[in-house]
Amino acid sequence: MGAAVTGSTAVPALSGTQGAILAAYAELIEELGSDDVSYRVIARRAGIAERTVFRNYPTRVDLLLATAAWIEATLFAREESHSIFDVPLAIREAMQRYDARPELAHVVAETAMRGVSGAAPSPGRAQLERLLDAEVPSLDPAQRRSVIAALSHLDSVGTWVTFRREFGMDGRDIADAAAWAAEAVLDTIRDRVTPAYPWRRGR
Amino acid sequence: MEEPVDTATAILASAAVLLRERTFDDISYRALADEVGISERTIYRQYPTRAHLLAALSNWIEQACFPLPSFVTVSDFCAAVHERFRAFDTLPAYAYVGARASAISPTLDTEPAYITRAIEAMLEVAAPTLNRRDRLRVAASLRYFSSAMFWARLRTGFDLDAGEICDAFDHAVGTVLARLPEATWAQP
Repeated sequence: MGAAVTGSTAVPALSGTQGAILAAYAELIEELGSDDVSYRVIARRAGIAERTVFRNYPTRVDLLLATAAWIEATLFAREESHSIFDVPLAIREAMQRYDARPELAHVVAETAMRGVSGAAPSPGRAQLERLLDAEVPSLDPAQRRSVIAALSHLDSVGTWVTFRREFGMDGRDIADAAAWAAEAVLDTIRDRVTPAYPWRRGR
Repeated sequence: MEEPVDTATAILASAAVLLRERTFDDISYRALADEVGISERTIYRQYPTRAHLLAALSNWIEQACFPLPSFVTVSDFCAAVHERFRAFDTLPAYAYVGARASAISPTLDTEPAYITRAIEAMLEVAAPTLNRRDRLRVAASLRYFSSAMFWARLRTGFDLDAGEICDAFDHAVGTVLARLPEATWAQP
């Protein structure tokens, strides 16, 4: 607790070389898209030998998953929410960050949708559960699970991708709608907060 | 030159066959070409990048395996989504392709999915007086909770089966609709 990290993803410690590779790849994705970037180009951008890239990331899938995790932990890092009722605000801010880096947002969204061979799709789940259990411990297990599932889903880059692709929404409308939906989920538990948090009521 | 339509379809059908035994990432254009009995070059002509192949494959799977039951009312909508989530559970490898394709940077048509239009039409009938902003908020939320992404996230991240995912979906839809004033709803 209390670590000043992202509040969601646990970032594996990277060597300086690995950090340079992932940063170079992320940069190139924004310039060229994720399909067209060769190991040779990544190596040149990072200022290292091509075989060093291969040694660290033997396959393109390895490289892509590591890059997605790195993007989430750095460019898309968020401040930890201190209350479950602050989550809509965190979601609003996250959507604006995704909107500023659309190519990278798609990369992160896609790696989380690969099933067991992909990235964890709900990295913020444990954090949400901690907050909910502290503030609203009286929920039955099914209700608790539904609330956590809905908030995890909304607090992800998939929201930004879907709202943009399916409805042509701009960053402002996406942030508004995502936060609105999260408030809707929280509406169902506002009157269930424990007396330790009476000021949360009706916020 | 345009390839005959059935070459494109044959490639997708073969990709779907290969998908039963390996992940999308492990389907090389080489293996796919062998499976269809055409040259690798022909596949590249149809699908210049893997993103193109993924998007087309997802559309094909959607039509072949996960047709969306039509719906007009909210309860029909929920029933249709339940049916899809249960179908996803029987063919998870296919459903993940759909979830993944809906997350990539758009390559082919940027048309919204059929379900998006159906949700918008449903709201127009069910809540005719709803203001534009709330309509967009509700439509986007319902769309997102009914997506293959929702199924994929709850299956991988929460280890839930289709029945449990349907419960979580119903709960989410309930919270979204409850946010609208009672007077919004058309009287039957």
